Amino acid sequence: MIGKQTIEELLHRLKNDQNTAHWQTIPGREAHTAPFPDSLDEHLKDALRRRGINSLYTHQAEAYNSAMMGSDLVLVTPTASGKTLCYNLPVLQTMIAHPESRALYFFPTKALAQDQKNEMADLIDAVGLPIKSHTYDGDTAGSIRQKIRQAGQIVMTNPDMLHASILPHHTKWVSLFENLRFVVIDELHTYRGVFGSHVANVIRRLKRICRYYGSNPQFICTSATIANPREHAEALTGRKMFLIDRNGAPSVKKHFLIYNPPVTNKQLNVREDETHSVVRLAGDFLKNKIQTIVFAKSRLKVELLVSHLQKINSGRQDRAPIRAYRGGYLPLERRAIEKGLRQGEIMGVVTTNALELGVDIGQLQVCILTGYPGNMASVWQQAGRAGRRSEDAVIIMVTSSNPLDQYMANHTDYFFSRKPESVRINPDNIMILMEHIKCAAYELPFKKGERFGSEHVDELCDYLTDEDLLHYQRGKWYWMSDGFPANNVNLRSAAQDSFAIIDITDQGHAKVIGEEDRFGAMTMLYEDAIYIHQGAQYHVDDLDLIERKAYVRKVNVNYYTDSDLAVQLDVLAMDKHAVFDNAHIEKGYGDVSVRALPTIFKKIRFETYENIGWGKIHLPELEMHTNAAWISFDPIYLDQFGKNVFQGALVGLSHLLRHAAPLFVLCDQNDLSVVPKIKAPHNEKPSVFIYDKYPGGVGLSENLYQLMPRLLEKASDMAQNCPCESGCPSCIGFVNEGRAAKQALIRLLKERSTCHSHKN
Amino acid sequence: MSLAQKLKLYRKQLHEQNRGAKESSPNPQQLDQTLDDKRQNQAIRRAAVALDADLRTFEDQYVLVHSERLPLATRIGPYALDDLWQTVASWQTFGAAHPLSAKGLHAEDLLFFDTETTGLGSGSGQMIFLIGLARLTDRFLELKQYFLPGPGHEAAFYDSFLKDCTSLKHLVTFNGKAFDWPRVKTRHQFVRDQVPKLPAFGHFDLLHASRRLWKNRLESVRLQSIESNLLSMGREKDVPGKLAPFLYFQFLKHPEAGLVKGIIEHNREDVLTLVSLYIHLSNKILGKAETDLEENYEIARWFEQIGDHTHAQTIWEALIRKDSAFQLPAKARLAACLKRKGDYQQSLKLFESVIAAGGDESGLVSIEAAKLLEHRFHDYSRAIQYTMSAMTQLGHQRNDEKMYPLKEAAYLKRLNRLKLKRTKKFS
Repeated sequence: MIGKQTIEELLHRLKNDQNTAHWQTIPGREAHTAPFPDSLDEHLKDALRRRGINSLYTHQAEAYNSAMMGSDLVLVTPTASGKTLCYNLPVLQTMIAHPESRALYFFPTKALAQDQKNEMADLIDAVGLPIKSHTYDGDTAGSIRQKIRQAGQIVMTNPDMLHASILPHHTKWVSLFENLRFVVIDELHTYRGVFGSHVANVIRRLKRICRYYGSNPQFICTSATIANPREHAEALTGRKMFLIDRNGAPSVKKHFLIYNPPVTNKQLNVREDETHSVVRLAGDFLKNKIQTIVFAKSRLKVELLVSHLQKINSGRQDRAPIRAYRGGYLPLERRAIEKGLRQGEIMGVVTTNALELGVDIGQLQVCILTGYPGNMASVWQQAGRAGRRSEDAVIIMVTSSNPLDQYMANHTDYFFSRKPESVRINPDNIMILMEHIKCAAYELPFKKGERFGSEHVDELCDYLTDEDLLHYQRGKWYWMSDGFPANNVNLRSAAQDSFAIIDITDQGHAKVIGEEDRFGAMTMLYEDAIYIHQGAQYHVDDLDLIERKAYVRKVNVNYYTDSDLAVQLDVLAMDKHAVFDNAHIEKGYGDVSVRALPTIFKKIRFETYENIGWGKIHLPELEMHTNAAWISFDPIYLDQFGKNVFQGALVGLSHLLRHAAPLFVLCDQNDLSVVPKIKAPHNEKPSVFIYDKYPGGVGLSENLYQLMPRLLEKASDMAQNCPCESGCPSCIGFVNEGRAAKQALIRLLKERSTCHSHKN
Repeated sequence: MSLAQKLKLYRKQLHEQNRGAKESSPNPQQLDQTLDDKRQNQAIRRAAVALDADLRTFEDQYVLVHSERLPLATRIGPYALDDLWQTVASWQTFGAAHPLSAKGLHAEDLLFFDTETTGLGSGSGQMIFLIGLARLTDRFLELKQYFLPGPGHEAAFYDSFLKDCTSLKHLVTFNGKAFDWPRVKTRHQFVRDQVPKLPAFGHFDLLHASRRLWKNRLESVRLQSIESNLLSMGREKDVPGKLAPFLYFQFLKHPEAGLVKGIIEHNREDVLTLVSLYIHLSNKILGKAETDLEENYEIARWFEQIGDHTHAQTIWEALIRKDSAFQLPAKARLAACLKRKGDYQQSLKLFESVIAAGGDESGLVSIEAAKLLEHRFHDYSRAIQYTMSAMTQLGHQRNDEKMYPLKEAAYLKRLNRLKLKRTKKFS
């Protein structure tokens, strides 16, 4: 390598790169501070001063004051704004004044709890008072568990532990529950969709147990920037919340670049795959020893990027300065990577949104986003990983050819002024709610007429009595089964069972290398699939559905595999319905049954992405009941445009809706599915269904039903603004009769937007 | 859509989801109406009569208490109940260090105790529905069983049980330390405001003792297998304990005594077996009953672990006199015992005789010999020889990824030090 290039030199080159579509400089911001509150204990003030803190940021002072007044509050805090003091100060102040009081913190991951424990320990040390704070999770040694249960003043845990260990064993935690003053919920925005709906129910159970022991804790929540922090916090905790969203922390100057890879095929308007650009850009920084974090949307992408980037590792695997980090890795592996990043031994990391959270990996200088991450909250969380505490930060978003990415690349003003999305949960999802009714009944019997959340649950308890799980006696329902209901519920995975991935390359030493949920297993671990883990390829020899195990063997092939699903859809009940455009278009919302069958898989060559073979997948159908929103068109359009053309338009519309939906609700790509049906079974009309990919639904499609006019407008925008003629990945995709289909769709959407009907 | 409508729509899927929440339970017949309180109380009264139990009341709650008095001459397996006097008396002169020692206790202080629960889990949703206990008096053995007629009667249940055993001091259970007693504590939390406090009992857990003595000969160390294999007892028509939850759930829906009669009998026999088993184990430890070589070996090991070297040494000395599979291990143990007492000559002799007889597969005995030779006899050459042979033995343990490198490093260090000392000695 010839001499190292500095970051300035690299930036200069990017300035002249014609693919740099936009360059936004976000100026740094000064701090807004407030003096220490008078009521703050001298010990605490001293401890802060000794750490060089002589005043609080305004939002910290506001949080302290309102917490001490007894409000339940939610704080919106960007990365690195000193949010931990917002809750640690009122909690410690309370502990100093009332040592018998207790606080329960919960974090979405064990790693975050571990980080916070260390930070809290440092602060308590500096304060010099004996306040007992400890993590309580799967890693906590058995020998100290009892001590924590009886005497831990601040207990840091995660919702899963609360759900499966602390709440079902509440009789061992009497001193905690009798004296619980604060519940701190960090990273509130991560509790969304299925996970959030479960966690809301875990919190209902927590509150129920607190009531039983006579305590009524205050909730302090923190969240990344989302559109509805107060509403979300209220839905999650069932409390009225006080919102603090004026951030007083300073921030560094940021260079935010949007990089749009070159068009490689003019006719088809196909762009170079964004991974190529990301590898090139990240490679430039890494070769020059500039610490870089790369975000990618899927686990597969992460692995692909790492295998490309590792080539610049000059063959020395043991140093492995570039690593992958994602869910499905074992905890020890993750801790090692976090440490390597903090200490600078690891130069680059490629990750899914797993590293979006506040896991402490120190400061990185450059952040590259492989594609628009799907929501603005993620954009700013991921961007926050760069330049957390020091010099200018560089953020590069490399856009892919999908419609949303191209829309953002071509509407940068819109992008930078975009409001964050709102977060949805559906705690009353019957499938989820029922599981927690069981857990709650196990913890304490239900009284007749008792509410869980806002709903009476007598009918549900009667149902569970019929199912031989509860027993009704003298006005109460008691758990009456030899099972342990919490074991049956995994808060995080859509399917309630996970599959172990077992490496049998060395017959004598088979080992578990990761896990996938049922859906992941059916779509990634079918027989003959190529599964990629930490950059290595594995061939799936066998998927055992009964034992929930996938046996894989290390291989070295030049392709990866991708699967297709066949989907059947039936409407079971229609809850909401509206027509517009003189009844030519209608929208609906309700319960549907979805049956999905993995059919075939394709083998795709790495370098060229060409299809080099396929195979059948022999797996049973997955059936699910869930919620869906749909839009149906008058069948006369079929004659008007011709069947083939209209079918193309319908498929194109699904493509657009799939990409536009995340503009309105904060969800992961996997949370929603869009399916076009030329003749929907319930009304025999051409329709497009958008459904929640979780049994019972988590509120996404319900929200989209309400927003349908706006959603269609956005889809119309995307189609009209795309320069291609006959459909491309950036608008309607490649469909039959592309040119005519695109025209038809634009006309269809335009027509309806001229006669708005915002009524339901 | 209301929850009730949702419930209708999702019934099938919910049913599938529920399957995971139950461990056993074959699908029972549905009961179309829940019993109202009045009819339930009538049913409880009928059950009390059928189970030969008193119906005690506490506020508006009930508990069924079955009491019996067994003559002291009653035999439980190989022992009569009044053998317990002798056993407790023997402990008085033996010493207090042993975990089963009743020194300082009277036979009347012991509370033989066993429970039946609605599941094996340890969480707050599992209940105890039957407590069986037995205590000795100077004229008879008093046996009591407390039966919970439904989940709404726990205050009566615990109040009655706790008031009856205030004078008792020491629990005798089978796995009660890990199972029964923690569950009593959990359930007591729910009624703690209404009933007496839990006393701070001492505790003999006979599972631990039985595991020590018999884990090699029994496939699983359960009370029933101990009865049939070691106490020559057998049960007629026993209802297996694992059916208890299911039968109890059935009883709650149809309160007929016949459903739980078998479980109550099962519990009764368990409690009585505890008396016999405590006598049996104690007598073996006290040397008052016949023991085989393996039992001797394990009893001595137990003495050693609790620091009672005197009793251990006596047994080792007896064991090395007989040719058996335990002879060499006992020799090595005795050698260690003598080393501790400072009898290095005798200790070394025993270690060496174990090695010579091929009784050092692990290499650890050779290391012991090397230690003595190095530190007490300053005979570095022979110490080196023994360390070398320990190295050879270690070679067979390469598969132990954790221990092998550690031991190898330690042995090499020892070898280097010995060589250095030998050089110094001769220079």
